[in-house]
Amino acid sequence: MSSVDLTVEICGMSGDGTIAAGGLLNEAMSGAGLSVLAFDSYPAEIRGFGRCVTLSRFGDEEMLALSDKTHVLISLDDKESRSRIPYLVKDAVVLYDNRPPSYVTEDQAIAAHVDPGVRLFGMPFGDLAAEATGSTRGRNLVALGGFAALFEVAPQFFHEAIKKKFAPKGEKILGANLKSFDRGYQYAGKKFEERPLNLLSIPKAAGEEKRVLLSGNVAITRGALDAGLKLYFGYPITPATPIMEYLAKALPERGGRVMQMEDEISSIGAVLGSFFAGQRAMTATSGPGFALMTELITHGVMAEIPAVIIDAQRAGPATGLPTKTEQSDLQAAVFGGPGDSARIVIAPTNVAECHEYTLKSFQLAEKYQTPVIVLSDFFLNNRVESTSMPRASDGEIADWTLYPDGSVKDHYLRYRITESGISPRAIPGMDGYLFNATGLEHTEGGIPDYSPANHTKMTEKRHRKIQGALQDLPPPKAFSRDEGMDVGVIAWGSTFGSALEAVLGAQKKGLKVGALKITSIFPYHAEVIRTFMDRCKEILIPELNYEGQLSNLIGHLHGKDVARLNRVTGLPMPASAIYGKIETLL
Amino acid sequence: MSEEHVVIIGNGPAGNQAAMSIRENDPEVRITLISRESGACCRPHLFPDLIAGKIPEEALYACPIDAYQERGIKLRTGQEVVRLNPEERVLMLEHKEVVRFTGLIIAVGGRPRIPEPLLVFQDLMFTLKTLRDAKAWVKRLSEVESVLIMGGDLPSLALTKALLEMGKKITFLFNEDAFWPLRCDDALFEEVGERFSLKGVEVLANRPVKSIARKSEETYEIEVDGRKVEAGMIGAFFGLVPDIRFLAGCGLRIDRGILVDEFLNTGFEGVYATGDCAQIYHPEIRDYWVSIGHDNAVALGHIAAQNLTGGKMQAVMPLESIFEVKGIKVNTSWWMEF
Amino acid sequence: MSKQVIYSTEPEDFYYMDINVPCQGACPAATNIPAYIRSVFEESYDRSYEINRSANILPGVLGRICSRPCEDRCRHGEPELGRPVNICHIKRAASDLRGKGLVSKEGPLASLGNKVAIVGAGPAGLAAAHDLSTIGLSVTIFEAQERCGGMLRYGIPEFRLPRSVLDAEIDYILQKGVVFKTGVRVGNDVTVEALLEDHDAVLLAAGCYRSIPLDIPGEGLSGVYPGLEFMMDACQGRSPVVGKRVLVIGAGFTAFDCARSVLRTGAGDVTICLRRTEEDLIVTKDEVLEAKREGVKISSLMLSRRIIGGDAIEGVEFVRTKPGERRPDGKREVTSIEGSEFVLPADSLIVAVGQRAEPIGSPGEKNDRGLLIADKTSHRTSIKGLYLAGDYMSGPSTVIEAIGMGRRAAERIVEDLTGKVFRERVVRMEEAEITDRKRAWDYLPRKEMPAVHPVEKRLVSPTLEVERGFGLEEAEDESKRCYLCYLHYEIDISRCIYCRYCIDVAPRDCIKLVREIETNELGAVTRLVETASWQEVNAVVIDNARCIRCGECMRVCPVDCISATRVELVERMPEKGKTDV
Repeated sequence: MSSVDLTVEICGMSGDGTIAAGGLLNEAMSGAGLSVLAFDSYPAEIRGFGRCVTLSRFGDEEMLALSDKTHVLISLDDKESRSRIPYLVKDAVVLYDNRPPSYVTEDQAIAAHVDPGVRLFGMPFGDLAAEATGSTRGRNLVALGGFAALFEVAPQFFHEAIKKKFAPKGEKILGANLKSFDRGYQYAGKKFEERPLNLLSIPKAAGEEKRVLLSGNVAITRGALDAGLKLYFGYPITPATPIMEYLAKALPERGGRVMQMEDEISSIGAVLGSFFAGQRAMTATSGPGFALMTELITHGVMAEIPAVIIDAQRAGPATGLPTKTEQSDLQAAVFGGPGDSARIVIAPTNVAECHEYTLKSFQLAEKYQTPVIVLSDFFLNNRVESTSMPRASDGEIADWTLYPDGSVKDHYLRYRITESGISPRAIPGMDGYLFNATGLEHTEGGIPDYSPANHTKMTEKRHRKIQGALQDLPPPKAFSRDEGMDVGVIAWGSTFGSALEAVLGAQKKGLKVGALKITSIFPYHAEVIRTFMDRCKEILIPELNYEGQLSNLIGHLHGKDVARLNRVTGLPMPASAIYGKIETLL
Repeated sequence: MSEEHVVIIGNGPAGNQAAMSIRENDPEVRITLISRESGACCRPHLFPDLIAGKIPEEALYACPIDAYQERGIKLRTGQEVVRLNPEERVLMLEHKEVVRFTGLIIAVGGRPRIPEPLLVFQDLMFTLKTLRDAKAWVKRLSEVESVLIMGGDLPSLALTKALLEMGKKITFLFNEDAFWPLRCDDALFEEVGERFSLKGVEVLANRPVKSIARKSEETYEIEVDGRKVEAGMIGAFFGLVPDIRFLAGCGLRIDRGILVDEFLNTGFEGVYATGDCAQIYHPEIRDYWVSIGHDNAVALGHIAAQNLTGGKMQAVMPLESIFEVKGIKVNTSWWMEF
Repeated sequence: MSKQVIYSTEPEDFYYMDINVPCQGACPAATNIPAYIRSVFEESYDRSYEINRSANILPGVLGRICSRPCEDRCRHGEPELGRPVNICHIKRAASDLRGKGLVSKEGPLASLGNKVAIVGAGPAGLAAAHDLSTIGLSVTIFEAQERCGGMLRYGIPEFRLPRSVLDAEIDYILQKGVVFKTGVRVGNDVTVEALLEDHDAVLLAAGCYRSIPLDIPGEGLSGVYPGLEFMMDACQGRSPVVGKRVLVIGAGFTAFDCARSVLRTGAGDVTICLRRTEEDLIVTKDEVLEAKREGVKISSLMLSRRIIGGDAIEGVEFVRTKPGERRPDGKREVTSIEGSEFVLPADSLIVAVGQRAEPIGSPGEKNDRGLLIADKTSHRTSIKGLYLAGDYMSGPSTVIEAIGMGRRAAERIVEDLTGKVFRERVVRMEEAEITDRKRAWDYLPRKEMPAVHPVEKRLVSPTLEVERGFGLEEAEDESKRCYLCYLHYEIDISRCIYCRYCIDVAPRDCIKLVREIETNELGAVTRLVETASWQEVNAVVIDNARCIRCGECMRVCPVDCISATRVELVERMPEKGKTDV
């Protein structure tokens, strides 16, 4: 029983159809029964300048993280692909165009730079596309055909993916793409004798539920739709814009609307307004936009109004690196904004959790009458994973608002201090439950009040309320075999996948290592975390930020300093880096 | 980038040795070794042993693939030179890449020769030149019991020996052309024929072939001199002809092989040819000769490298080793034990 | 709606044609090759045949034995584009597939009253006779052999050129009213001076029929045959006697024809001995391959020293040669390697090292070998009214070259006699549609000529034509491969918006960002000076020398600023008023 773990890159210049090819490849391999984890990187500019790389990892088991070693490189532009050579394994397969339109120098040809163990397969992509369709535009599809032949993936999986993508564009375009793929498949099948790996022989797990490929953005969108979302207010910002785009198509079909606001301040304002009026609403943004929202977020905290905010983190600070990933908004999400403004912050670690937590955030927001921030990151938002089709149960989308009962009618106190800290919430328009809501400190009745005792007890109430959310928040999950561990790795967001892969790898080697997944960033389950930390000699917290923001938040729970692995490369954390750090700690 | 660049075309025993020798003489110069095959240098004379299962594949390689990087030799595998301009000192690779050089050693070796009248049957015959060929032999031999060998060059004799050890039934169709470019005599055929018959090999000496056909999945049929002979596979061993079609019209003097002087120089400064693809006039035998055999190739590769880096070694082989088959040093031992 | 047509005689347009339609530029008869290939594609075989016939007179013959200088220059044969179009065999297909009626609609024009004598009924003489009698001159051909055709009949074996094809095409010429006097050797049976008296012009196109000997000891032994005589015997059905082990010395068509003919007499062992190497052979690769298939062996780098034997030949002593630098004529110098002598046994030797012209007694300036000299352009000798053409003038050459010379000689003769130019070459330009060729056709492999198999069949029937010819489908498939280089695509700089979509879809480096354009003294574009710097770009220009006429650029241009023109080098009678020399 051979196990498959194949990382395929397609690299080209923008305009080569690299991203489209990557998408088709992922769909096809998913359709063939493999698990997929894929991530594209492309330049900020639109055309002609800049390198596009699609990175896909395929396997027969669930893929937790991207690999930092590539097995197959499909080069649509040799000059750009040269940069990918350092990532190739020793006997990697490189599929390249051996009939470029003009002669190239040593510098420009990828064949001149690969190591001798690398297996080169040259095909005339452009010529074959021209032969099949009259134009060279289909060369990316020709390359896919070559890949399919070399790795013996049945063409029908690609045909299905091509039809799905291109049928809406008309017979002519669909036909041209199919012909290009077929020609490449036919040519490679005849020309190349070697078959580096037969993917057809991988047995598909029987009786599996249907797996789909979803990106984080799509999962977040589905989670919101499943929660019955009707209103979205937002402002475009990379990488959250697709959420708004998907909802702009989906909400009107459900009687809802997307409204593009003039900026992020009015976006959060509108969300608060909507929830205040009893209607679920959402906004999604990234670091720079989130920063604009913080004052109104604290307004939501003070006036105890629910809100759901998706912060899709990207590399900062300021405008930063719009198309690169980072995990550096944790501090802003937990503490951003004036005053003691505790709110709920949760962070999914994969695409399935993107759906689950977005869905759940509406209930948490309603029950705890607070803004809930869902912290995802660029990598998570844009990557594509094989996952089962998310489905929401009725219980998952129910309204968790605690409404006032009849006994307080006509003498309703909006901010009555209770044991849980949650004050039953009336919705404007409920007859007999008039109340005042304000961003000023206020009495239980909602009337502005600045007296020392009041401020103290209201602050305490609000904090107690948020701490109470721990019972409804997903607790940290441990992955360990041994009671006592030499190293415990604690990670959050998309970095957790890499951490788990590293830990599982270490466990296979017999090392006493474990992992703890943290998804509730605030409030955090201090006892659970401390219990785990006590089992470990060393604690390692890898994060994609410079200061170690999670480390700073929970590190004090450990008896001594936690070890940190901080990276600000703009790229996802490689599992190998975590593994390497584990080894140094042993 | 106006530094020196030595390019060697071909990573057989000659090219491989040439690269190594250049590096020994010059630790700095940029060396690129371009090979059409993948992997490190393979020693083809060991193929019969591989086919007979006596050695593993790893034993074929002259050195591990890391050896090139360790010596700073850029080995480019799976790539083919398709054009050369010795005047402008530039060559073209199959994927339209232009490479400039200051020094060049052409060591492309030979390809199996199929006499023109038999060209139309080419696809029905197995040759033995590359590792891929050897693997094809291994595969086919696992399915069949009998082999017909046509031709009669040195590799065929070595292979016949290996096949006999494997217990295969062998028919040998001698062709006087087979030892080309060497000139051999009838007495030799008789002697070889006798020895073969003693071992149970059926020998058909020197009869013209009318046709070859694939009768079934298991059998090929060859019609020779009014008779039909069947075998599980047919091997073509008509010697090697220098693999230099890509050099046609480039300005090098070409006959069967690349014509070079006794220092292996082609007449263009810094451009040498060596190994099986070079055709050299030997003043002692007073005729042109083309090298055959592993040891000769290695020696010639070394000589070319010396001369490219300022030496003046003559490529003069000891008489007996090339004049008559009987005396060929490299193969005498196994041949006599036959 | 008629399309605009322009005729030009500007020098830069001729310069353009030579580069852009390289096949026609290479043809000594300037045959309009793309046009005839296109006609075959359109299944207009008659038209294709006529396009050929009007330029090269003998398409059926040339479609078999032409030396094909066009294919060496065919754009499709450029290194990364594949192999040249099989132009010659498409010509043959036009001849094989056409209707059997008389094609030529040109009857003789009103007789001009001048009389011309042509000596030699070979390709040069026949070509001149055709043109002169078409104009209306009265032509008489004097031929020493019994029949017409020259080397076509007496030098080329029937298995390469069936006599029926040759006879049919010679008949077309006869029908123009040419008078043949065969069996008459000018110089012996009648003098040149007499001819000059009776005729207004005399054209000597007697060919090269004197075998060049080796000039080595032993050449007089029996069993040694001059190659030309060997072929003449073979072509007339007189089976020459050869032994079992035959050597042929020579490297031209005659040597190969001799070797292959020898095999057809039953001798099994023939070796062609070359002074140089196979690389230097001018014989077509098809020929060499078929010769080898039939069993001809080829040995190289050997120079004959002497022939050994008593009364009859027993062997030939050779010495090894060493090739040197290339001479201006393209052949390599060879030097003998002393001490490398060896002997090859043989019972027959055929010497086919070349032919020369025989001097014919006549007035006029001669060279040191006693042969008349003529001016290359005017074909005139020093004697008024006496002209030369063909091999007799240039030395041994090719059939197509001879035909070209014959036609040009005819033009000069008419000009000299009448003061009128009857034919001019012009560049014809006509607006064209975008090509209807499909890009996929550019990847079709070249169709090779099917030949008779198995080889034994050929050897037992010595007159059986070896090459079988293209059928309808094969001809059409091969004709698809022609890029139709008569199309000229040009970007209108004034309307171009520099979007570079055309460059994106270009199949090779044929559309360039240009800083300036260099021209020569004729005004023809000689160089496009490219630039990579956007600031310096002045124009986007299609480099027609690199263009493969795929039309992609025209298809994608968003502002429709690319035009197509059909540009052809054609012959026509000069316009009124332009006929005077």
